[in-house]
Amino acid sequence: MDVTAQITVSSLLQQILIGLSRTTILFIVASGLSLVLGVLRIPNVAHGSLYMIGAFLTYTVASVSGLESAGFWIALMAAPIGVAAISFFIERGLLCHLYERDHLMLLLFTFAFTLVFGDAVKLIWGSDYRSFSPPDFLQGAVVFGTFPFPRYNLFLLALGPLVALGLWWLTNKTKIGKIARAAAVDREMVGAIGINVSWVFAFVFVIGCYLAGLGGALVAPTQNITQGMDHAVIIEAFLIVIIGGLGNIWGALLGALIFGLTDAVGILIIPQFAIVLPYMAVVIVLSIRPKGLLKSVW
Amino acid sequence: MVDRRYRLTVLPCGLVLFFLAAPSFLPRYYLYLIGLILITGLLATSLNMVLGFGGMYQFHHSVFYGVGAYSFALVSMKSGLPPAAGYVVAPVMAALASLIIGLITIRLSKLYFGMLQLSLGSLVWAIVYRWYSFTGGDDGIHGINIPEAIDSTRGVYYFTLVVTIICMWLMFRMVNSPFGRIFQGIRDNPERTEAIGVNVKSHQLVGQVIAGTFAGIAGALFVTVEGSVFPDLLFWTLSLELIIMCLLGGWYVFFGPMLGAAIIVVLRTFVGIYTEYWTLVLGIVLMLLIYFLPQGILGYFQRRPLSEEH
Amino acid sequence: MLEVKNVNKAFDGFQAVSGARLRVEKGRVVAVIGPNGAGKTTLFNLITGQLTPDNGQILFKGEDITGVKPHLICRKGISRSYQVVNIFHRLTVFENVQIAVLSFQKKSFHWYAAARKMAVAETRTILKSVGLADKADQISGSLSHGDQKVLEIAIALGNEPQLLILDEPTAGMSPEETGLSLTLLRRLCTDHGLTILFCEHDMGMVFSFAHEIMVMQQGQTIVQNTPTEVRSDPRVQAAYLGGADKCSA
Repeated sequence: MDVTAQITVSSLLQQILIGLSRTTILFIVASGLSLVLGVLRIPNVAHGSLYMIGAFLTYTVASVSGLESAGFWIALMAAPIGVAAISFFIERGLLCHLYERDHLMLLLFTFAFTLVFGDAVKLIWGSDYRSFSPPDFLQGAVVFGTFPFPRYNLFLLALGPLVALGLWWLTNKTKIGKIARAAAVDREMVGAIGINVSWVFAFVFVIGCYLAGLGGALVAPTQNITQGMDHAVIIEAFLIVIIGGLGNIWGALLGALIFGLTDAVGILIIPQFAIVLPYMAVVIVLSIRPKGLLKSVW
Repeated sequence: MVDRRYRLTVLPCGLVLFFLAAPSFLPRYYLYLIGLILITGLLATSLNMVLGFGGMYQFHHSVFYGVGAYSFALVSMKSGLPPAAGYVVAPVMAALASLIIGLITIRLSKLYFGMLQLSLGSLVWAIVYRWYSFTGGDDGIHGINIPEAIDSTRGVYYFTLVVTIICMWLMFRMVNSPFGRIFQGIRDNPERTEAIGVNVKSHQLVGQVIAGTFAGIAGALFVTVEGSVFPDLLFWTLSLELIIMCLLGGWYVFFGPMLGAAIIVVLRTFVGIYTEYWTLVLGIVLMLLIYFLPQGILGYFQRRPLSEEH
Repeated sequence: MLEVKNVNKAFDGFQAVSGARLRVEKGRVVAVIGPNGAGKTTLFNLITGQLTPDNGQILFKGEDITGVKPHLICRKGISRSYQVVNIFHRLTVFENVQIAVLSFQKKSFHWYAAARKMAVAETRTILKSVGLADKADQISGSLSHGDQKVLEIAIALGNEPQLLILDEPTAGMSPEETGLSLTLLRRLCTDHGLTILFCEHDMGMVFSFAHEIMVMQQGQTIVQNTPTEVRSDPRVQAAYLGGADKCSA
């Protein structure tokens, strides 16, 4: 009796910690989406595709460069930058001309990119899924008391708060962050006082997409890199952003926590329907607070 | 007036005659294709009832389509009832789903409405996707029985044609009825519509149920033609594709979505012959559409000059 | 007919309306004036149900309508027009008014009948009375600003109101258009027995048309009286008119 109780508690703890490490990736992806939605008011459906491209790029750089462990770290640097570069060209070339259109049109336009990127990935990397292992340093597990905890998940767990703090600093303590927040609320006013709103938007968009790429790069060693990744992650990211509050970084963190934890607990309690629990949590949250748990930018 | 009557009676009648005669000279595959066009067009038109004519951000309409399709499939394969009962159960279940989802989402508007609908719809998808024992999960259900009376190529074809025509006609009446006018008033100016004595939320809810019901009928027709169901019918990408069809044909025009659906289905089929990268083509078409023809094809040709959106 | 008693409304700590009082007798024309930000539109929104008062009471024909929803207010016989043109810009002029009539006739859920053939006579009557009959088939979004403001009023007439509330009905109009609107409103008052409550910045129009004027400032009612009395009231002069000779009759 005692032993089973112990195992259940420790496996619960283990699941929760694993859920929390998944939270990191969800948070990184969702915060990028939230930034773009909050400041530019664009529901960027292609965010998921950029995440997928980030994962594929990481795989290519890490395994093809043949540099084993170092390859991953290089990829972790390079892949999100590559994704950011792609997003820069999208924004400057096409998206910035459409800022006056309504949400639905913007959403559809980004959906067009989802379609294009989906096939582009198939073209470049083929239809098979890819996978690779984390670098040696992060492989294996550390034993906590009675259960082993994967090193890579620990890495993610440590990384999460760092990214959160970095984003908070960027949006609240830097000049451009404050301008961006002002532009989110009243872009005309910001333009009227002589600031080039267009470049502010470009900056925010690129940062947001960089985060998508970063999320993809981080998730790459933990699961199969498939052509359906974009469709799966974008829904989760949107739901997190909605329950957290549009444009709210801490909201994205809170939403990602709810998502990650309900998923983890779900796997433990009802493995077959684990996927349903996060969605139910979202429905419950939105029924009580339709505009999200924390304050949204608009 | 002559122009309008020409457009509304001669043209559709000509088309209908063509469709009626088609089995005599078209091979089976083309009949299947026409069936698919009619069903997708019906579905897109049902979406447009609330999207183009209601101004609602219907982000996940395909849920009701999927509910209708799965209802028919489950009635046919798992209940003791004859398959024909599926044609009653499907719209009822779809109506119920749209009522429940509608009651939750209708309090919000615009983007929030759309995103809440998206999350509720995804919940339904997740349940269907994982409930292997009941819905067949990822595999779906195949080899679904349809009523013997229509179980032939011609039978399925004519049944689909007749049901689609009836549904389109009903929806056409609705759009041009007082309810339809007021619904469009809600689209253009919900505040003013309320001020003239209309309970906006209740009308929107009714609109949702109507749209959902016709989507459910389309779902039942799909199973009739295809013989299978799968969770993809409930996935959000299909919902967005439907919106693309409405945009392509012109979402302020009644026949716009049908035209859009026809073009997309035909394009998809024939592009698919030459390349497997149809999605890429669709993406580029969509971008061009948004940039150069946001009012859609029929919107471009419409006699009424539409003033700019706010 | 309409009585507003000590109504208050605050937004996030800002007191938009405080202790506002208003009395409108049947068949009279009452104008509400006051500088920008005085709370006139807020007061109108409180009467027509777009906003709910924090406290106070609003009575219409003796019935308490405080906080009643806009669509129900309409059914009681109150109609309003808006300061910023608020029409159905994608529909024709005819359809704009027809919608209001159909709603009044409680046909908003009729889904099968052809709307084209319904409420035609009533709609044409209204269009004729406001002078828009010849533009009936034009898309309302393409009308001139003055015509759109007239359409505003026409839509409000759709539900055969007893009290018509107009928010700056001649705002943005040329003097010629203002004159035409004035004629129209006078006709509505005398021929149809409509009670009219409106707010305006055009003092000429106010003083020549209104039977009574209510003056607001910073959310409060300063006075309600006949135009002559109001013009010579020292409180009003101090707060708003800045001297009796500033306004022209």
